[in-house]
Amino acid sequence: MGPTVRQASLILLAALVPASLTAAFHPRRPVWSQETLAPGEEMLPTVLAWGANALWVDARTADEYETEHVPGAISLNLENWDQLFPKFLDAWTREKKVVVYCSAATCELSREVAERLRKSGISSVYVLKGGWEAWKNRK
Amino acid sequence: MISRLHFPELPRLVKLGRIFGRMVLGLLFVLAGATKAFDPGAFAVEIQRYHLIPWIPGALSSVYLPWLEILAGALLFVKRFEQGALLLVTCLLFVFTFALASATFRGLGIDCGCFGKVFTATGTVVPLIRNILLLAFTGFLWLGYP
Repeated sequence: MGPTVRQASLILLAALVPASLTAAFHPRRPVWSQETLAPGEEMLPTVLAWGANALWVDARTADEYETEHVPGAISLNLENWDQLFPKFLDAWTREKKVVVYCSAATCELSREVAERLRKSGISSVYVLKGGWEAWKNRK
Repeated sequence: MISRLHFPELPRLVKLGRIFGRMVLGLLFVLAGATKAFDPGAFAVEIQRYHLIPWIPGALSSVYLPWLEILAGALLFVKRFEQGALLLVTCLLFVFTFALASATFRGLGIDCGCFGKVFTATGTVVPLIRNILLLAFTGFLWLGYP
């Protein structure tokens, strides 16, 4: 084994020590049992960290939107797409990350709206994992 | 020979360039590792966004890779370990470049996550170009060894 590989192996081994301590004691260590995210999905803490860079889109029905919605969210559903999409465009800028949500994790509306937005040329479109329920249950 | 005839200072300049290059590369890796080691949970999510490996290997990488970057970057300054550290830095750059290229070509629309939460909204194209340049630079550094 050449000296270069031997040195590299030693460094690889040495990194295991702080990594093990991190895994065991770091206050921000990863949650080992965390559910995986589907492509294009995003978790609420991440979206909240985006702050004003996030543009919330409510994919539920107009009635549900009227009852309650994420502050600042825009209503955009497939039923009234033609009327609502221009309003979405008024609020959207290229720098914004679009976060679509519907009622719960099992709901497919947000995925359908997100897909249509992507096909309309909107970049950075995400689906909120857990939907409105995740928002309501936030700590 | 020709270079010595026309530019007698060239070998010294090249040597200085390599020392300076190792310092820049080392500092970049220490900085990148430190920002991720500060919040490994967030880094695990960043890894997940690439959709290249399952959650558990990604979470394990999120606690290991930052420290490997810090150690490899720091040991670029230590004569006894500099070649081994450069080998690891080169390998890590290959892995990161592959991940960035893959995310770019799949149109994932994600951030690099290369410096934790310090630099956001980076996309993947600019970091990909930066990594390719850094890889070319490691080639220049490797030329300095027998």
